[in-house]
Amino acid sequence: MSRLRLYVAIYVVLFAFATMQVFVEGLGLSYWTGFWAVIGLSAVKALLVAGYYQHLRFEPRSLSYLMLVGLTAAVVLTAAAAYSIS
Amino acid sequence: MTRRNRHHERAERDGEHDEPRVADGGHERPADTDGGHERSPTPLEDVGAVGRAFRVEELPPLSSVARWFVTTNHKDVGVLYVVTSLFFLVFGGVLALLMRAELWTPAADLLGANAYNQAVSIHGMVMVFWFLSPLAFGFANYMVPLQIGAEDLAFPRLNALSYWFYLFSGLLLGASFFQEGAFSGGWTMYAPLNVPVYTPELGATTTVLALLLFVASITVSSVNFLTTMHRMRAPGLTLRKLPLFTWTILLTVWMMLFAFAALGAALVILTSDRVLGTTYFAAETAGGSLLWAHLFWFFGHPEVYIVFFPALGVMAEIFQTFSGRRLVGRKWFILAMVLVALQSFAVWMHHMFLTSINLQVKTLFMITTIGISLPFDLMVFALIYTLVKGKVRFETPFLFAFGALALFILGGITGVFLGAVVLDYEFRGTYWVVAHFHYVMVGGVTGLVGGLYYWFPKMTGRMYDETLGKLHFALYFVGFNLLYFPMFVAWETPRRVFVYDVSLLPWHQLSTVGGFLLGASFLVMFYNLTRSLWAGDRVEGNPWDYTTTAEWAVPSPPPLENYPEGTPTYARGKLEFLAPSAVRSLGRTGADGGTDEASTPSTDGGTVVRDRSSAPVVPETDFDEGGHDEHHASHASPWPFVVGVAAFFALLGLSGVNEGGLYLVLLAVGLLLGTVGFVAFGLEPFHVPEMVAAERWPFAGVENAKLGVWIFLASDVVLFGAFVGSYAFIRVAFGWTAWEPVPHDPFPGLVNTYLLLTSSFAVVLALVAAKRRSRAGLVGSLVVTFLLGVAFLVNKAVEWQELFHEGLTLSTGVRTSTFYLTTGLHAAHVVVGLLILLYLIARALRGGYLDDDRPVEYFGLYWHFVDIVWLFLFPLFYIF
Repeated sequence: MSRLRLYVAIYVVLFAFATMQVFVEGLGLSYWTGFWAVIGLSAVKALLVAGYYQHLRFEPRSLSYLMLVGLTAAVVLTAAAAYSIS
Repeated sequence: MTRRNRHHERAERDGEHDEPRVADGGHERPADTDGGHERSPTPLEDVGAVGRAFRVEELPPLSSVARWFVTTNHKDVGVLYVVTSLFFLVFGGVLALLMRAELWTPAADLLGANAYNQAVSIHGMVMVFWFLSPLAFGFANYMVPLQIGAEDLAFPRLNALSYWFYLFSGLLLGASFFQEGAFSGGWTMYAPLNVPVYTPELGATTTVLALLLFVASITVSSVNFLTTMHRMRAPGLTLRKLPLFTWTILLTVWMMLFAFAALGAALVILTSDRVLGTTYFAAETAGGSLLWAHLFWFFGHPEVYIVFFPALGVMAEIFQTFSGRRLVGRKWFILAMVLVALQSFAVWMHHMFLTSINLQVKTLFMITTIGISLPFDLMVFALIYTLVKGKVRFETPFLFAFGALALFILGGITGVFLGAVVLDYEFRGTYWVVAHFHYVMVGGVTGLVGGLYYWFPKMTGRMYDETLGKLHFALYFVGFNLLYFPMFVAWETPRRVFVYDVSLLPWHQLSTVGGFLLGASFLVMFYNLTRSLWAGDRVEGNPWDYTTTAEWAVPSPPPLENYPEGTPTYARGKLEFLAPSAVRSLGRTGADGGTDEASTPSTDGGTVVRDRSSAPVVPETDFDEGGHDEHHASHASPWPFVVGVAAFFALLGLSGVNEGGLYLVLLAVGLLLGTVGFVAFGLEPFHVPEMVAAERWPFAGVENAKLGVWIFLASDVVLFGAFVGSYAFIRVAFGWTAWEPVPHDPFPGLVNTYLLLTSSFAVVLALVAAKRRSRAGLVGSLVVTFLLGVAFLVNKAVEWQELFHEGLTLSTGVRTSTFYLTTGLHAAHVVVGLLILLYLIARALRGGYLDDDRPVEYFGLYWHFVDIVWLFLFPLFYIF
């Protein structure tokens, strides 16, 4: 598959996943199952954009780690803060 | 032939200025720029002509005032930082003396309540933000490029921009006193004291905005230093071999990058609460007060190490030089610092033991807090043992460094008390805390003052007066302990209160005497350094025995280009200087110009050189001819200063935007000037230093500008993460499932998702078109991206308009506040992207980016990131 075709395929997947997210509510899932399903779809979309459109998959791994450190800091702050009042 | 002429002749011969090129992954490419563009092939000549109109051709001499407004050279910027930070030391010091004068008696008889509160608050902010770190970064600016063998920082103009943001943020802080009064709720700005109900003065808003501008300065600086230190180290200078001062700066900027992003988020939210009327931190918001504490201390505790680490680095350098002994346990010392840097982000809740957070989390953070003292123990013992094993010379820099260690030990031990939950219940909010953190923070200042004496001859070429230096230390050390130690005894005094129990009077009067003595000691320093600047003994090279770092291998002060006569290398295990031809040959041997670390001998196990003759060899050059004052057009740019002025006006205007009138004019002028400044910044041709051969781990193969963009995005992840985290925190406090999304219908959000995804795809197509050298394809794709971005904003505006009509405004409640502000921050990112797109389109229309598509790629990194953020905002704010 040429690089351009790959980009087009990813765009189609992103478009489809975005549409699916809105209709998850109608599937009759419990609140938290639906919530994590939708967040999971967002995570997959984000990985596709970062991996292919931002070319992280083809860059030195250290750049991915750099972004993961930032993400970890944000998650630690959010999770610990939320837990502190739970 | 003069040295300057020889240099220019060589530069022309080497094509150094006309065609800067760098080996990258085996492919030769034009050198990086920091936002400007290099001289480019014919399609861009017309843009180049415009650009030349913005260019300052000559760097004025050091004696010229103009020099200091246009310089981008790291040594000049370092001097600016040092001088400005000392000005803020005086500013903060005078405020402290006012407080101590007020506390001479237990009654409020000098300043009055509000003035005292302002003095306490602004003293804390000035000392922590505008004095301590900037003094350290004055040294870092000056010394780090020299220590790692670089010509300058990776992005010299951004370095100047950081400085101007810093200066103007401080001036903005000063201006806040004249807008009904500065912020008076303490340097920690706890909620809800930080909202207009309790601090209604316009000046309080200006204080917040000043700090926000300071955060911008820090962020730009962090990106610059990290790119420089990871990509521009001399061959053979692996991270393991970095000088200890540079190590501490490296860890400091990593902490700064993430910690200040959280503070930036907190300040943006606070500004919104104060200016736009959102209600995040309002007293009635569930969790609002705790939210501020979480955001502030997530930044605030790493800030303790951000402030202290550079002082630790200075102490380590001075201990080595003045004991003639390599630091004992060097690699363990470094490992301990890395551990502290990591752990610093896992201890913040010990500042919240007296809040309503649960006992489990308090216990957890008590453990992590006590745990962080262990690596510090190792560092302290390493420093002490270095002295035991060495032969100490008690000169002024050492006295201050040694004094700093003694003070820090006391500060550290008294801090452990505060890390224990049960003891914290007793000590929190008392003078115990005040005494403890002054022993730590001002302990750090003590180390940095040692650095000032240590590097004064390097920076000025003159020696200070040793007797006056020792007199300064004696007054300083006695004054310090007289000021702060009685606070431990009078610990029951409540913090930030201007009256106290009369039984504590003697201790407070002792403190006041100590405070004035400490202040007077600085008069000795200022006299000594100012006089020595003009009349001190000349220092040609290195005045100290046993130095080990590369800044001492060049004359004092160093030449403008640092190492014009030879590129430093450690490839053979010791510092040597290579001719340019040898460097180019070295650059061609390795991918990305890097060298194989495994093949280079280690110097980590070596011993300190025994005398000056075996110190790094000073190249035989005629530096006096040009010296620090050598002209080089590439070091001059007026635009960082212009953008700094613009930021000052814009933020001053923003502080009173709801008042209208003059404030609106200031805001408009600031925005206009900022636009002109940034456009000129982009158009100005500017030579950026690039190392053909360098150690670049772990970012070999990633160009400087690209790495800069990625590092910035990592910081932006924390910024958005803090916003989303705030939203999640308030929802948890509110009751997660009881919270309904503000938009009734997810459809507008879904449409915006489609628009952004499609615009991301269009940017991908733009890059493909640029690689295929299709001008029409490139311009078309960029225009489509722009139009989709505009459509996103229009759709959002329509949606917001409808919600406003329904009465759902920013001030309706925290539910609407979080919706508008978080998605609004994202929209602001889209607007910035659109402005960059306009610039790209204008250049693409003239044939740009067909030969060098990197700007399109780097813009794409940003735009895709904005897209990714929306992918999470959409479900969080529209579906659940």
